[in-house]
Amino acid sequence: MNDTTELERGYRRLVACYPRSFRRENEEEIVGVLLATARDGQRRPGIAESADLVRGAVRMRMGLSRSPRTVLYAVRLMYAGAVAEVAALVIFALTAASVRSDFLVNHPLATAAQLQQVNAHIIGDWVGLPIAIGFWLWMAWANGRGYDWARLVCIGCFALNTITLLAALGTGVARYAPAATIACAVTWAIGFAALALIFCKPSWGYYTRQAAAGQ
Amino acid sequence: MQEATFLILTALADGSQHGYGIISEVADISGKRVRLRAGTLYTALDRLRADGLIDVDREEVVDNRLRRYYRLTPEGGLRLAVEAARLQANANAALRRLNPALGVI
Repeated sequence: MNDTTELERGYRRLVACYPRSFRRENEEEIVGVLLATARDGQRRPGIAESADLVRGAVRMRMGLSRSPRTVLYAVRLMYAGAVAEVAALVIFALTAASVRSDFLVNHPLATAAQLQQVNAHIIGDWVGLPIAIGFWLWMAWANGRGYDWARLVCIGCFALNTITLLAALGTGVARYAPAATIACAVTWAIGFAALALIFCKPSWGYYTRQAAAGQ
Repeated sequence: MQEATFLILTALADGSQHGYGIISEVADISGKRVRLRAGTLYTALDRLRADGLIDVDREEVVDNRLRRYYRLTPEGGLRLAVEAARLQANANAALRRLNPALGVI
């Protein structure tokens, strides 16, 4: 009996990873099934079944258990976008000083206004990149849950990314900050692919269904 | 349709089952090859319910434990039939090509 209680406690700790709404309806049943499938004399949840429960909980918390493959891929791309943005931030932190000095070397007669523009661009990246990381993560979460407004925010973010990229290429900043520009182009491509996925036909049903379900 | 989903729907095709029942049925159907784990099963059941392919049939309390029985909805039955026909057509084609002399259909 003691073994069973200990095992049950272990299972309940794992099931606690699931969203509350799901637990309210399913916890007793899942624990029942887990205990029924446990080996005789088993005292603790096994590694494989623990991993399986945690994986299910993560999928459910991210809203991915009910989403079609296209949305699942889009969400993964959005996480990749956040990672790319972190990489861009690291590159930027390492090269910000050289961007300024390169500019000065190439434009020894630069006016104060031009220098100010370069400084403004650098400050813009310091502020913009962490915000961009936050937006990627936010969008991954919201799209995974099928919020329809998240698709509109995605369009806005993508438009902003496009403008930033064009501005970097157009104003010649790209020449002094090639790494940052490449990172910008990479995130643009990721954003484009993610956008195509959340607006493709199999994804539509998911968003409208979630909206109808009041989520 | 993923194999686990196909097997879960198949387990429910001839009557309602509770969670543990589905796990044993799936093991039987697949010749012990697929052993569903609780996390996988309940994530799948949650999705199938959201998609309207299965529904809760009834609930019972056995030995102080809740048993919820699931059943196929008409839409779930239809989807399973379509998928089964597709798999059968593929399997038939493979067998025919592998052994034309026997004329396996």
